[in-house]
This record gives sequence, C-alpha cells and structure tokens, in this order.
Amino acid sequence: MDGNGLPPAPIKSIGVPMPMVDGPEKISGRALYTADFYDHAALTGCIKRADVAHAHILSVDISAAEALPGVHAVITGSETDEGHGVLPVSRTELPIAFDRVRYKGEPVAAVAADSIEIAKAACDLIKVEYEELPAYFTAADSIAEGSVDLHDHRPGNIERHVDYEIGDVDAGFGQAELVHETEYHCAEVCQVQTEPHAAFAEWDGERDELTVRASTQVPYYVHLMLSKILKMPKSKIRVIKPFLGGGFGARTEALNVELITAMLARRVRGTVRTVISREETFITHRGRPEQTVKIRMGMTKDGKVTAIDCQTIQRGGGHSGYGIVTILYSGSMLFAIYDLQNVRYDGKRVLTNTPPCGAFRGHGTVNVRHAFENAMDEMAIKLGLDPFAVRRANLIAEMGHVANDLWVNSYGLPECLDVVEKASGWKDRKGNLAPGKGLGLACSHYVSGASKPVNWTGEPHATINLKLDFDGTIVILTGASEIGQGSSTILVQCVAEVLGIDPTRVKIIAADSRVTPKDNGSYSSRVTYMVGNAAIEAATNLRGVLVAAAAKKFDVNPEDVECLGETYRAGSQDEGMTFDEVAMAALEGTGTITVKGNFDTHPDSWGGKKYRGAAIGGSMAFAYAAQVVEVTVDPDTAEIKVDQVWVAHDCGKALNPLTVEGQIQGSVWMGMGQAMTEETRYHKGLLISGNMLDYRVPTFVESPPIEAHIVESIDPHGPFGAKEAGEASLAGFLPALTSAVADAMGVRAHELPVTPDRLLRILEDKEREMRSSATAAE
Amino acid sequence: MENMPAFRLHRPETAAEAVRLKTSDARSRYLAGGTDMIVNVRRGIEAPETMIDLTAIAAITEISEISGGDGGLRIGAGVKLSDLAAHADLRRDYPAITQAAASVAGPTHRRYGTIGGNLCLDTRCLFYNQSQWWRESNNFCLKHKGDVCHVAPGGKRCFAAFSGDVAPAMLVYGAEVDLKGPNGARTIPLVDLYRDDGMDHLALEADELLVSIRLPKPVAGTVSGYEKSRIRGSIDFPLAGCAVRVTMDDGKVADIAIALTAVNPSPHIVTGLDDFVGRPLDDDALDKIREMVRSQAKPMLTTTVRPWYRRRVVGALARRLTAKLAGA
Amino acid sequence: MKSLLSLTVNGRQRDDGVAGNLLLVDYLREVVGLTGTKIGCDGGECGLCTVLVDGKAQHSCLTLAASCAGKDIETIEAMSDGGRLNAIQRGFHEKLGAQCGFCTPGMVMAAEALLRDNPDPDEDTIRTEMASNICRCTGYVKIIEAVQFAVDEIKANPNSKQEAA
Repeated sequence: MDGNGLPPAPIKSIGVPMPMVDGPEKISGRALYTADFYDHAALTGCIKRADVAHAHILSVDISAAEALPGVHAVITGSETDEGHGVLPVSRTELPIAFDRVRYKGEPVAAVAADSIEIAKAACDLIKVEYEELPAYFTAADSIAEGSVDLHDHRPGNIERHVDYEIGDVDAGFGQAELVHETEYHCAEVCQVQTEPHAAFAEWDGERDELTVRASTQVPYYVHLMLSKILKMPKSKIRVIKPFLGGGFGARTEALNVELITAMLARRVRGTVRTVISREETFITHRGRPEQTVKIRMGMTKDGKVTAIDCQTIQRGGGHSGYGIVTILYSGSMLFAIYDLQNVRYDGKRVLTNTPPCGAFRGHGTVNVRHAFENAMDEMAIKLGLDPFAVRRANLIAEMGHVANDLWVNSYGLPECLDVVEKASGWKDRKGNLAPGKGLGLACSHYVSGASKPVNWTGEPHATINLKLDFDGTIVILTGASEIGQGSSTILVQCVAEVLGIDPTRVKIIAADSRVTPKDNGSYSSRVTYMVGNAAIEAATNLRGVLVAAAAKKFDVNPEDVECLGETYRAGSQDEGMTFDEVAMAALEGTGTITVKGNFDTHPDSWGGKKYRGAAIGGSMAFAYAAQVVEVTVDPDTAEIKVDQVWVAHDCGKALNPLTVEGQIQGSVWMGMGQAMTEETRYHKGLLISGNMLDYRVPTFVESPPIEAHIVESIDPHGPFGAKEAGEASLAGFLPALTSAVADAMGVRAHELPVTPDRLLRILEDKEREMRSSATAAE
Repeated sequence: MENMPAFRLHRPETAAEAVRLKTSDARSRYLAGGTDMIVNVRRGIEAPETMIDLTAIAAITEISEISGGDGGLRIGAGVKLSDLAAHADLRRDYPAITQAAASVAGPTHRRYGTIGGNLCLDTRCLFYNQSQWWRESNNFCLKHKGDVCHVAPGGKRCFAAFSGDVAPAMLVYGAEVDLKGPNGARTIPLVDLYRDDGMDHLALEADELLVSIRLPKPVAGTVSGYEKSRIRGSIDFPLAGCAVRVTMDDGKVADIAIALTAVNPSPHIVTGLDDFVGRPLDDDALDKIREMVRSQAKPMLTTTVRPWYRRRVVGALARRLTAKLAGA
Repeated sequence: MKSLLSLTVNGRQRDDGVAGNLLLVDYLREVVGLTGTKIGCDGGECGLCTVLVDGKAQHSCLTLAASCAGKDIETIEAMSDGGRLNAIQRGFHEKLGAQCGFCTPGMVMAAEALLRDNPDPDEDTIRTEMASNICRCTGYVKIIEAVQFAVDEIKANPNSKQEAA
C-alpha cells in the first residue's frame, strides 16, 4: 500500500497527453541550437555563390582573397572530388562546384575569416571566370530537343523516367461510365523551417579528428557524407545534432553548409562556425518541386474508380537530390488509400538550372494527391454524387497487399470520413451555405517509415540502448533526431510505459555519434514507428533484467514477480521492493546495466518487384486522414478566407494525443500555405522569393481554427498500435481547399497557390464566358 | 554576427541638432524606427557613413492640437504607428488615418515604426528589395547602381511603388508637413512631398527632415476609411491601398476625396471626383468611381502579384469603401 | 569606432563599448551571451528576435544596440520566475505552443508584451497582436491556446506573474 492507501500500480504513459520532455529548455531560451555555439577562437565561415545559372567554370582566382588580412582559408571546388547525395547511385553533387555551375547561388568557393565582414569582403575578392551555357528554368525547356545536358550521366536531362502499368487500364476505362481528364499545376514550395542552416566544425589538430554540430535531421547521413567528402575514416568523425529549429525534409540530406564548414575547419586546423542567411537557406532549398499532374480517371455512376492514367513531370533542380525517390513516391502512393486495380503511371523527374529539390513533408505524394482528389471531386459533381459517397465507394475492403504490393494492415479512413462528415455538419450544411461560402472534402495518407533504407547495410532499422545505473535513472540513448516533432518525448513514454515507471525517471540523450547508437534519422515519419518499437524491445529487456533481480531477492521464480512500475513484489501481501532497490539488486555483480532493443521491418512491407523502384512506398503501416475545409470567398477581391478545418487523422494508437494533435494541426496548416500563399519565384534562375516577405508563410491572422480529431485504428505491428501522425494530414488540405472554392464560386483553380490574382482571373473568365454564351443564346 | 556595413551613429536630442549632424556628412542618413531603413542597410541598398538616430528627439513624439487658426492636429514625425492608431481623437475625427496606421506591416513593426518613416518610406520593387548578392547577380537596376529597369526594360523611368499605408489617408484630409532643413523651416502640402518617380520620390531638399504633420480640422459629418489588399493578413506591404473621405449632404455628395497607395511610384490623389459633387452615390456613380480609380492606378511588375490584379482590386476596394462610407 | 553603451538588460545595469552599427540582437547574443533570442530571417520578417525595449515588443535585428542607451531591455532569459517557467511559458509548455522551439522565445516575448498591455485579450486580439511572429510548426492553434492558458492562470493567481523588471 502506498501513502494514499491504494495498491501500487504501473504508471500510464501511453495515451497520456504529455508536454514535451525538452519543452522547458526550449521555452526558457536555454536550449542551444547550432547557431548558439560560440567559441572565441572560432572563425567565421562564408560561402561565395555563383551568379550564373549554368556555366563551365574556367578559373577561380582566390589570390586577392587569400591576401586579405584576417582571412585564414579560402577553398574552392578542388577541395574535394567526392560528391554527396542521398542515394548511392546519385552522389554527384559537389559541396563546392568544381568545373560546372548548375544553379544560381551554387557554392563556388568558401572562406574562413576573423569576422563576417572580412569573410564577405574576401568572397567579393574571389574572381570566377565562367563560360556560360544555355540555362533551363522549366522542365519543358530542359528536356526540349537539343538542350545541353546538365549531367553527363543523365542524357536529355531526365533524372528518372518511371513508366508502368498495373492491372489493365484500358479495360478499366472500358468499364467506366464516365471518363474524365484533368490537369493540375503546383508551384515549387520550400520548407522554411524557422532556423536558418548552421554548422559548427571543430578540427582536432593533434589527433586529426573532427567534431561537427549541424542543423540536420539525419546526423548519420552527415557522418557518412563527411567521411566520403573528406576521405576520412568514420571513426575520426563525431557528429552531434544540437536542438533543431524544424526540418520538414529540408535537412534530410547532408547539406553543403556542414560539408563546407568541415572542409574549412580541416584547412585552418581549428574551429569554424557558419550560419547562413535566410536567403541562402532558401537557395540551399530541397523543397517540393514544381509539378504538373495530369490525371485521367474512369468512374462508374456509383463513384467507383475503374482506372487511372497519371502523367506527371517534376522540375527537380540542378542536382539529383531525392529526385528518383520523389518521382517514384508520386506513383506508388497513388495506391494504398483507395481500392485501385488499374493504374498507369508515367512520371518524369527533370534536371533544371534551379536549386535542387528534396523531400518536403508528404514527400512525393502531395501534388499527385491534390490532382487525384480534385479529379474525384470534379467527377462527383458531374455524376451528381456526394464527395463522401465517392470516397466510400472506393475504400479498401480487405487488409493485406494492394495492387502494387504495398502492405496495408490497419485502415482507419472509413472512420476518418465519418468523423469529419459529422463534425463539419456536412449533411446539413453542404449546398445550404450563404453565397460565397463553400465546403470541400479530401483524403490523404502517408507511410510510417520507409521500409527499405537508402543505405542497405544489413543493420536493423533502429537500435535503442538503455542505461540503468546506481541512481535509478534510466537513460535512453538514441540516434533518433528530435527535430521538434516530439520524438524524444515519445521514446520516453514508450520506455516508461513498458516499465510502468514515473516518466520523469527516464532521461534521453539523442543524436551524438560518440554516445548514441546509430539511427537512420528523422524522415518519412519513421521514428515513432521504428525507434518506438526498438524502445519497447529495449525496455522489455530491461524489465526482464529487473524482474530476474527481484526474483532472486524474493527467492521466487521470475514469473511470480509482479512488476508494478515503481514497486516490484512477489505477492499482493508482500511489501515489495522499490524500483531503486530492484535496480541496486540488478547491479549486484554486473555494475551498470545496458540493454538494447532493435527493430526491423517485415519483408512483406518492402514494396513489390512489379517495376523498377517498387520498394519506394513500402512501409509497415499507412496513416490516413480526411478533412473538410470551409471557405468564404470575397467576390470583389477574390480573397479566400478559410473559416474552419475539420480533420481526422488515423494515427493508430495515439501515444501522446497532445503532440499528435500538434502534428496534425501543423500538417494541415502547412498544406494551407502551399495551397494559398507559398511559392518560390525565379527571375532568370535567380530566386526572387528568397526572403520571408515574398515567400509568404501564413501568419496568425489568416490561419484558421483547425479542429483535429484522432482516429485510432490499432496497427498490428506499430508500437502500442501506433502509426505516423505528422505528414498524412498535409496533402488533403490542398484539394479540400480548391473543392471548397469550387463549391463556393462554381470555379476550380487548377494552379497552386490559389492567390487572389489567380482566382480573380478565373472568376472573370467565367463571367465573360457566361456573358458571351448568354449573348450567343439571344 | 550579422553582416553590417560600418557607420557612425549619432543620437541627437533636438531636430536642429539632427539637421546640423546630417549636413556635416554627405553620406549620412536619418534613421527613425528602422523597420525599413535597417533592412535596406543590411542589404547594402543604403551604405551610410553616418546615421542620425531620431528616436531621442522628444519634441517630435507628440500629438497636439494646433492652437489658433482653424485648429486641427499636429502629429510629431516620431510618433509610433501603434500610438497613432490608438489615439482617441484621431480615431474619432480621422478614421482613415488610424485604420491605415493600424494596418501597417505587423503589430511589432508598428510599435517602433514611426509615422515619419512611413511617410518617407522608400519605394519598393522586386528587383530592388533584394540582397546585395542578388542585385549584383542581376546587374543592379536603374534605381540603384545599375542602368537597366528590369520591370520595363529599355525604359529610363523607375516604377518602384510607394507602399506606405498612411500617406493616402493623410492626403484625403489635405495634410501638410513641417520640414526642417539647413536653410530653415517650411511647411508644404503633403501631396507636394511626393514626386511621381520611383527613383527619387521625395521632394525633400538636401538634409531636410520631416518634423511633423498638420491635419486640418475635418468638416462636420465627414466620414473616411482605409482598405488595402495584401496576400497575408499581417507583415506584408500592401499590393494596393485606398483611402476614401466623403461628406454627404442630404444623400448627395458634398465633398469626396480618394487617394491610392502601392499602385504608383507615389501616393496618388484620384482626380476627376468633383463630377460627383451634388450627386448621389448610386451604383452607376460607384461603378464610375471604380473605373476612374482603375484607370489612374498604374501598377507595374514590382511585386510577385500580377499588376493586372492590383489594378482590379484597387478599384474594387475604392468602390466598396465609398459605398460603405456613403451608406453610413 | 566604439562608444560606451549604458543600458539595463534583464534588470542588470551594463556598460559596454559597442560600435555604432552593432545590432541589438548581436549585442545580446554575442556581447552579453544571451543566446535565447533567435535569428530567423534577414531582417524584420519573422519576429524570432523579438525582445522588449522599455516594455514594448521590438525586433532586435532591426534595432541598433547604441540606440538603446538608457533603455530597459528584456529577453526570454528574464521570463522564468526563480528558475520556473512563468505563466506564459507554462502555457507554451502545457499546451504545446512550442514544437521545435526556435520561434518560441520571440513568441513568448510578443505574448508578454501583449498581456502587459491587455491582460484579457480575446482570440482575435491575440491573433492580430502577435502577427509579427511566424511559427512554422504549430499552425498557431496551440500557441493561441498557450496564451489563453496564461491569461486564465494570471487571472486566477495574479501574484504568479513576476513583476516587470
């Protein structure tokens, strides 16, 4: 009995809305982000950037820069001949361009100096001689007949052409009662995480070893690329990820910022700190590509989709980046949300003279989902069907492998639809709103971690170490990167739940390669699912150790020990042992306890072999979302106001409903930015919108209330049944918005973002068309 | 450390001392709140050797009644936009002005941005409000260091848009400005402060300082308002802005003034509105006003939003606001 | 050329030699060593660097340190009360107003400035009066809840809020 007279019981951590374990540091200003590291001896790094979009580099004269007092090192593309990149097949991007510049703003040299003023002055003194080449700022120009190849190994500037058919598409169209073709164009968007990129590199001149702190989502990739670029053994490199000011995919790849800073540190045999500007962070890019999606959809009169023909083209930028993965995701993720049997997909990823794109939240899926859901809505209108009815006519009926071999084991989409239909008052309100108001619905989904890692090494997907020592503190050691999504909190909850202990007893140390086990990083919504499962296994192993120690003390069999979290006992009458006593018992003879837990994906989740690249999209579980958006359109200005969003997200078991809600709201809202205000713009390859005035991240004022509902379709393989929570809700906002505007005004925007100038044009075109048809009728 | 050009900073406590310091260095600039000026300094658009910080001049931070004559209000150039927006007398008598002041940028900008700075705001253009590296990569432009206008290539005129919100609202009230320069003080109509030239839009003499604004007492029954278009509800500069002041008499227009911002290199007073005096503001009149506004707005490709839209929307705003005020 | 700057930072009087072109944010982060104030943009576009100057919110990235002579500067580091989060900070913690946390110091300072002027703002007022600050994680929903939490907390326990320095 404890002091309250209640029997001791394991403490619940899972399903509890728990504030983040690292909240106090962030909220008090004590948290150190990469740019918060200073060292009086540190030099300032600065990057000289190309002012041409496509050129051969004939010469780089650094003599005047080197001669400037206060300059300690000037490096150029000759510093390394090793390229970096995320896929082993396309590591062709040099941290500093050597013989070729492929986008305006690409690094062509870098300086380490006593101050930023001196470093900038030195950059200005570097003279680069170029022989300019024709530059291509659109995908169409780049693949036109006779264009110059950006990369020798990619003839015709096609990074990857993906082309396959699953099922029998022509037969599917034959079964359709309505065949409809439609096209959508989505502008390029950028993550704009609030923290500009930064790196802090320390070269140990005595040992020739390197420590790098970098603003990265995947310290492991940074480690690999540092080793490759610097041609150094991995054992002589230490990578630490301090607090991180968001990522959203921009920092999945190792970026030139950290690679260049490390090369400068090696050159000066000391410490270099580089913090790039917001404009440079925009130029470093890795955002979502400009993409055109053409969809031909066949449908029965009941709304069942019989066939899909999808053609898409992405403007990828000057280097491969994630290009191949992105264009494959765009195809594979047509599946696993609805029951589709007949699909033809033709996707082209094109190299262009613009900053390289990357893996933006909802990677590869968002723009295609936008076109798909709009096509459904257009056809629902034509067939006189309710948008909910159309979705329900296409739900997946049986769990297991879908037509392209993705593996679906939990599917809460039907319930998501029910929830938002009710919450939004759809049945009563749709069609009955005041003029200028409209409602739109869309669904979306996302993977819970990519089942095949890009670096196939045979290691488990995730490894967690737990340390228990004399002080009774359990320390989680993990390589998983806390990037603001709350991964550290989730791992603490997983461990505390298994042990039934007070979660404040569990501490976490993350993302320091010298201390923590390697992790594949924070991308593709993998951490909760994969690392969470590893944490459960590790905690289960630790509990086994503790139970065995308690059993020995009680002189009973381990199965007779009752683990009640903070108390262990052998029977209900027994006073039992406290957790600290059990821990000390466990330490007898062995000392500090370390246990481990792993996670590996099931081969059934590895995607199929029906086409080259079919592994992309393969995941242990898919999360689902449905959302209804309500808008009011101002007929005079064509300004759209989002009045409210109702969203339901099937994340499996919500391990932490508070952080799940935060993730859902953030996803929906980020989708709103892409749908309504955000786009990168270039002038002859020069990024016009490289600032936070011209690139318009929504403010408090126009951001709507977002009512988030959690749907829990317990996943059989997820940690406590959980799936991803931070991406699936993004894509649905875009088509729900355009469908809501269509509902309000009778016109549909086919170009994103739906800024008022674009919408007013469509409204006036429609008015003109109606006038002229009225005239013709007279 | 952020990159900053080196300069000396002075913090005079009187306007006269500010002018004297300004005159003493040819490469000097006045600095008020800094919400726009420091951005331009950081971008290398302004490269002063001396900056004269005006925020310590207590005498220009007050709003007071003008004694004698026809009365009215005098507003110190150093008054913060948020204080201007919250001022009870102004809210009552000059609603267009307080609405405009309350709509500038975002709330934090307004708490230290000043009315003087907003009236003297530099003109803006996509090809100008960029970093030093950006502008250099684009061969600079006519407005600064270059000889090409990227908005209208081949032209010798700069179309950078004046984007201050408060100027049109003060213009419809016939505001005057008090200037202090090395050659003494003068008072001119606010409208004469501006020139229709994006490169050189302020008709200030060398080293002249805007000290205060005089607002004449409005005619009883006058109503006014300000509306603007922008993509986001905060922070953004206006894509188009419109101030309207109307006095109605027995359902007919006794007096009407409309001024626009962000659609020309200077704030623009709409001409030809006298035709509406003595007439009711019915749909026909309102449509005509809308079209007059559209024809006098000359937005160019100085923002990421199409000029076509800015012209359409400024007309729509003017019509809507006029209708609302006339009906009120 | 440096001149002497005398001012108060978080209640402590300081005298530092500063150059005329030194930005307040660089003064705070690199001279005083208060790195809680963040930099997110190239000038006035994101609000991350918001501090209080004589009790009013201001962008420290567009303010010259030397212009703050004789003024009273407050940063995120002064908000905690005896090492514990104050009511606004507690709102951000409990209601998940912070995800990645990088905008949070500026948000907390903007909220602090707001609640000193208006202890009982409605949702619209919170939205318009904090709208110089950009957050990229939360969609602002939970930040608004965080400020509302603080409003209720301060109302319920007026002494919980530390005195303005």
